[in-house]
Parts: sequence; structure tokens; C-alpha cells
Amino acid sequence: MAILDNFKRFNEKVSTGFEWFGLAAFLLMMLLTTVDVIGAKLFLRPVDGSLDLMMILQLVAMSLALGTSYITGRHVQVEFFTPLLPKLVQRINRCFIRSLMLLLFIVMTWQLFVYGNDLKLYGEVSSTIRIPLYPFTYAAAVAFIPACLAALAKWIQAIIEVFKHES
Amino acid sequence: MSPETTGIVGIVVLLVLFMLRMPVAFAMAFVGFVGFAYLNGLESALTLLAQDIFETLSSYPLSVIPMFILMGSFAYASGISQRLYRTCYSWFGQYRGGLTVATVLACSGFAAICGSTAATAATMGGIALPEMKKYNYDDKLATGTVASAGTLGILIPPSTVLIVYGLLTEESIGKLFVAGIIPGALLTVFFVLTVIILCMRNPELAPPGPNTTIMEKIVSLGGIIEAILLFLLTIGGLFLGWFSPTQAGSIGAFGAFLIGVFRKKLEFRRTIGVLTDGLRTSCMVLFIIVGAAVFGHFLAISNIPFILSDWVGSLPIPPMAIMGVIVLIYFVGGFFMDSMALIIVSIPIFFPIVLKFNFDPIWFGVIIVMVGEMGVITPPVGVNVFVIKGIAPRVPLQVIYMGILPFLGAIILLTALLLIFPQIATFIPNLMYS
Repeated sequence: MAILDNFKRFNEKVSTGFEWFGLAAFLLMMLLTTVDVIGAKLFLRPVDGSLDLMMILQLVAMSLALGTSYITGRHVQVEFFTPLLPKLVQRINRCFIRSLMLLLFIVMTWQLFVYGNDLKLYGEVSSTIRIPLYPFTYAAAVAFIPACLAALAKWIQAIIEVFKHES
Repeated sequence: MSPETTGIVGIVVLLVLFMLRMPVAFAMAFVGFVGFAYLNGLESALTLLAQDIFETLSSYPLSVIPMFILMGSFAYASGISQRLYRTCYSWFGQYRGGLTVATVLACSGFAAICGSTAATAATMGGIALPEMKKYNYDDKLATGTVASAGTLGILIPPSTVLIVYGLLTEESIGKLFVAGIIPGALLTVFFVLTVIILCMRNPELAPPGPNTTIMEKIVSLGGIIEAILLFLLTIGGLFLGWFSPTQAGSIGAFGAFLIGVFRKKLEFRRTIGVLTDGLRTSCMVLFIIVGAAVFGHFLAISNIPFILSDWVGSLPIPPMAIMGVIVLIYFVGGFFMDSMALIIVSIPIFFPIVLKFNFDPIWFGVIIVMVGEMGVITPPVGVNVFVIKGIAPRVPLQVIYMGILPFLGAIILLTALLLIFPQIATFIPNLMYS
């Protein structure tokens, strides 16, 4: 259990660290658009490629926040049914759902890397300022890793809870 | 299995995963991915998954969502709500039930700069409940009012639910926003009338508060100036074509941030807290849209939405009865699911039916937001009720739910009026955009 607790603490630290970069990207989204609007309306000088930059910043910000939002349970769930089940069934169900989550996160992360490779191979760039898109896809894939680790920790925890109950 | 059968099985499995507490976003992505792989092969499903994640998270039109969420978070933290409440309190507090009327009006004002029901209920609950307790207001009335009036957050523009609906159905966000104005104003009036009727029937529910002089009343009006300016700048700018929706949200967020800094409510630590909250909420919403995109692609190749709309179209019942059934499904669904998630999940299924029967999509958007409002105050997952319970832990949940009942009646009445008279929602958009 001590190992699992250490692993969870490590995950939290990594996810929080990633989220700090996500916060910077999120703040930049607001500032960039504000500067773009003021520049365009008052000085007739919009920010070049602001649309492309917004897209990239959003991709990075949301991906970087996935770990903490998953750890802190921010994702919407339907919560009325499972509390009605017997405790052991609840624990087995938790184990089942968390294994699906872990599987899904691993597939999403792996496929984002593959997608990044494809974008690199075909030389895909953003539409106005022609920035290559593959580095940001790789960044998004890396940003998903804390969510995978958190899902792994939650899955191990769920398995331990099932066996603890049985013993 | 045929594509149609696979589609139906997919919907059933999705509902089962929801019941088993898999987060809505990831349940949709999982079922969509597995269903797509079954119908089109694993290779194309893997590509689709990555493509939907990338295209949704990097979509410029979707960036309107994080910006309006951030605007709401900054407005929440910058103390605008307190000043709005103080103004309404100065004008109505001395009358019987005046504090509850002030709460409804302040919620309505705050809803004009914040698109979230929970944020509106939380911010007003924190301010209004202690005041109402001080003047011996009935717990049922006090908590029921705040929880219900908080729902105005998703009807009065800017509304995050209307933004998501507009993006999913490719309807104009500007039109949807103006369509929410009259229903939002009417619902505010209905809530005020509900309070007045309750207080007339039982004067003990809400004793009068302290008197204020006319000078105090006039001075208090200063408290609503910044909210009005922020509303005019963002929503006005959007209607006048100065800004795109994303730009309006960003300008609004920046304006709310400046107000917070100017009012010394947003020091560094608090600003980080607000940003973190806004980022996590945005992440949650955008991942629901990622899940809906994957699930929507699966549904599309299963042909379910088209078959369903053709089947419903062939039924020998009037279109309005079909609309009634759709509203009923949303109403029941709202008991168990977050309104935003419910709308995102169901739009690919119901929207083709709406178009098939030539219902106005703008009007339909307002209707489902109204029904979504009921969902946030009805058991077992009434988000606003839990928010109020968090602020007033000594008040039992059943007391809050009982307090909500008269206001729920007001929402149902307005929904019925909207079904009978669609012009309530469509009048302004038709006038402005004709």
C-alpha cells in the first residue's frame, strides 16, 4: 500500500506540474484573443496567425489538464445507481470501469503519438502561419501520460479493494 | 449484426456504462470506438479516435467554450455578484419576501455575465443565504429560491449550454443568445411572482428586512454598473458584429479579470485558483465533446439517427406530440444526468427529428435548455441542490427539494408556454436577423 500511495503522490505531482503549463496556455488564449481584438479594432493590426495559435494553445491546455481533472474527479458521472448495489458488487464494478478507463487512456495516448507521426510524415501545417502541427500532437500525447498513470493507480487501488473485501 | 442492430446495442451499452459510473465523456468515446471498430475495422477506428481528439481539442470554434467559462469564473471571483445583490437588497429588502426577490433579481443579473447554473447558485447562495437566515426567512423558501434562481445561468445569455448546442447543431450562437433573453426575463418574473404568492399565503415565511433611504437606494445602483458594462461589451459586441463568439468570451473574461484586479479581489493565488477551476471545467466539457464526436461517428455509420427520424416521421401522430415526447425524454433524462452531457449525448439522435418536422432549431435549443434547468434542481442528481447543501449544510436535502417545488412549477409553466407560443423565443432572433 505504501508503494501505491507513493505512486499516487508521484502522479499528483506530475499532473499538477503539467497543469501549470496548461494554465499558462489557457491564460495565453485569453490574452492573445484580447490583444488580437484590440489590435484589429483600434490599430487595424491584428495578431498574425491568432487563429492557429488559439487552436494550438487550446489543444495543449486541455490535454495538459486531463490528468488533474481525472484525479480530482471533475468528469461528469451518473451517480444514482451504483450506491444502490451491494458493497462487493460496487467494488467489482469500480474495478471493471477503471480497467476500461485505463485501456481507453492507453489507446488514446498511443494513437496520438501515431497521429503525430502521420502529421509529420505528410508535413501537415497550420492554415495561416504554416506552423508544423506534429510537435503539438506529440505534446498532447505526452500530456495524456499522467492520466494513464492516474488510471493505472486507480485500477490497482480498485483491485486491492476487491481482494481486501473478500479476505 | 447489421449496422442498425449494432447501433442499438451501442446505445444500450452506453446507457449501462453510464449507470455503472463510467464518466460520460469516456463512456461515449469507448462505445463509439468499439462500435466503429466492429463496423469498419480496428485500423479505421484507431485513426478516428486520434483524429477526433485532435480535431476537437484544436477546434477554433470550440474555443468559445473555455473563454465563456473563464469569463464566468472571473466574474464569480471578482465580487460582482455581491454588489449586484447589495443593490437588489437595498431596493427590495425592506418588503416581506424582499430578500428572496432580491436574490432572484441578482441571480438574473449575474446570469447575464455567467453561463453556469452551479456558479450562479454558489455565488448567490454564499451571499444571500446568511442574510435570509439573519432575518429569519424560512429555510425551505431561502434554499429553494437560490437553487432555482441559479438555473437562470444557462438561459440568460451568455449560456454555456446554448453555446455547446449551437456548435453541435451549427446554429448561430448569437441567435441562440438573443432567443434566451425573453424566456430568461419571463422566468425571472415568474420566480418573483412565485415568491410573492408564497409570501402572501404565509407571511411568516419571509419577514421584512431593514429599511433603506432613497439616497441609499440610488447610491447602491453603482453596484450594477460593472455588470451592465460587461454584459453590453460582450453580448452587445457579439450582436453588433464587433466580435466573433470566441472574441466576445475572451474580452468578457479579460474585462471580468480587470474588474477583479481593480476591486482587489484577485491577488495571485486567487487568480491561479480561478484559472485552475476554469481550465478543469473546460477540459471536462471539451472531453465530453470529444466523446460525443467519436460516438456520433459510430451512430452515423450505424444509420440509427436517419432510421429513427424516418420512423418517427412515419408515425400517425401530430408533430407537437412528438415534440412533447422528446421534451419528456429530456425531462426524465435530466433526473439522472448533467444537462450539458445529456444535450451532447442526445443531439445526434434527436436533432434530425427536429429538422424533419421543420421545428425551429433555435426554439428547440431554448426548449431543451429550459428542460435542462429542471434537471439541475430535481433529484437524484440536482447539481444546484448539492451546491446549496454545501453552503447550508444544516438544511436537510429534502427541505431544499421541497423548497424548489413551487419554482419547478414556474419552469414547467414557462416550458409549456414556449411549446404553445414559440414566438416567445423566436421573436427577437427573427426581428434581428430577418
